[in-house]
Amino acid sequence: MKKNLKITPEGTKDYLFKECTAVNYVCRKITKVFENHQFHRVITPALEFYDLFSADSAGIAQESIFKTTDNTGRIIAVRPDSTLPIARLVSTRLQNEIFPVRLYYNQSVYRNNPSLTGRSNEIMQMGVELIGSYGKRADLEVITTAVESMRAFSKSFRLEVGHSGLFEALINDLDADPDTKESIKTYIENKNYSALNDLLDKLEKTETATAIRSLPSLFGGVEVFEKAESIIKAPKALSALSYLKSLYSDLLALELGENIIVDLGLLQRNDYYSGIIFSGYIQGYGDAILSGGRYDKIFDLFDVPMGASGFAINIDYLAEQARYTSKSNIPEVLVYAKNDSDIIDAIKRTSELVKSGVKAQFSDLSDEKEAREFAQRLGIAKFEMIGE
Amino acid sequence: MKPIRIALTKGRLEKSTVELFEKLGYNCDEIHNKGRKLILSVGDGKFEVVLAKAADVITYVEHGVCDLGVVGKDTILENGTSFYELLDLGFGRCRFALACKKDFDFYHGYGAKTIATKYPNVTRRFFEGKNMDVRVIKIEGSVELAPLVGLADGIVDIVETGSTLKANNLEVKEYVTDISARLIANTASLKLRKNEIEELVKKMEEAIK
Repeated sequence: MKKNLKITPEGTKDYLFKECTAVNYVCRKITKVFENHQFHRVITPALEFYDLFSADSAGIAQESIFKTTDNTGRIIAVRPDSTLPIARLVSTRLQNEIFPVRLYYNQSVYRNNPSLTGRSNEIMQMGVELIGSYGKRADLEVITTAVESMRAFSKSFRLEVGHSGLFEALINDLDADPDTKESIKTYIENKNYSALNDLLDKLEKTETATAIRSLPSLFGGVEVFEKAESIIKAPKALSALSYLKSLYSDLLALELGENIIVDLGLLQRNDYYSGIIFSGYIQGYGDAILSGGRYDKIFDLFDVPMGASGFAINIDYLAEQARYTSKSNIPEVLVYAKNDSDIIDAIKRTSELVKSGVKAQFSDLSDEKEAREFAQRLGIAKFEMIGE
Repeated sequence: MKPIRIALTKGRLEKSTVELFEKLGYNCDEIHNKGRKLILSVGDGKFEVVLAKAADVITYVEHGVCDLGVVGKDTILENGTSFYELLDLGFGRCRFALACKKDFDFYHGYGAKTIATKYPNVTRRFFEGKNMDVRVIKIEGSVELAPLVGLADGIVDIVETGSTLKANNLEVKEYVTDISARLIANTASLKLRKNEIEELVKKMEEAIK
């Protein structure tokens, strides 16, 4: 059998030098935003029981989860998401904590993507979870944290905001079988106007059908609400709409209008979200770089009903961009001990230099010629010999 | 502002799309005289067109290196996942169909059937919808050959006129779905360049009415 000794599995890669510097830089910036908002870091295991992610409301496709078994045959998942593990943690270990709690994470998630699509199967993510509160204050706190995180990297980002309750109310009112409803969901999510219209043409022309038909095109600025209010009549849908409108006007008051788009057709993992939903985009990356919203329902899984909202940002692309601007990590000084008896002095000298802010490296080579050559080839400007 | 980059499916769809662009008054000279150039300017720099094989159009759009794409619904059904489908362009019409030898009673009996196709995903989904287990064999060339030489009981393929089927004593048993060219958009592009894309979509919509 051919051994895969010298390659990494598809969808994974090594990070080297500047790439790591860039990852650190991105994570530091985001950490600062999160910690400024008083979120506190948690780390959960990369391995969890598969059961945690298998509920319908988790919204994660079975085939995208890496699985293995433990030594008693129970199915283990390599975490495809960090929110559910944190919900597990909160509903068990933090039961007696003072709520609401603010948690953040900085850890990879793993998805088994179809092969040859160029997608990463190991995705570095940072995100926040605001748990134990409902309503507008919590939603605003989460959205402004998301905005600040993105703003740290790009001025021209877009954050689109929608509400899962709007579609939920409309689809419940619609007189159609579950399969049709499922198709409608998919079509709206993909903004597939033609298929949506074909399908709705077959149904009775009710107010609800008309409202659903218009959802995918209802995205933009404040004008969206006017349009929507003339089309949508169902009371539950209207209450979601008016909530979104008041949230949007708060975001305008916070001077975020330029970066925020309202998208009433925004649907994602629809069984999972139960209130506002949002996705962030930046120039140059073809997919959402940030996604989040309110997902109170997930705590029902643990029998401790609680409000929960948050978001996750994908680090990889931000780091790739930052790599081009991040500083060189080549040392400025190489400290070399001429004889073995000079080693102690050389180590002391190196740490002195480092303390004074110079990027100094103690040479671990024992031949002067080799050490000088190493410095020259790497481009280290100064060679300092101890023991002359 | 960067031009909007559009991926076109080479061949028949390319021709119809160029006609549509010209109808909208966009200059397509570079496409007509493309030579060996791969990225072509259209509408005096407003758009950039790249020509690609159907499945690659989807790849380019999904990854966001092209903002828009024109591709057949057949390719979308077989390969597509995460992008927006904005418009049915109306041209490139044909149908997916299940066909088999004339006089063959496809749905008779309990034996699992074998289907030859260029579109394994479409085929699998179609039969899953019928709760039928079938064996799917992927064929790259003329699928019609498979039932004739006894490799498969039937085929799932694109049917336009049906003349190839007729010439080989095959017939359509059931239509799977209608197909035509679609305008697709990258998710992020639609958010970041909403106005420009909406303007183009509106113009196209009016032109194909």
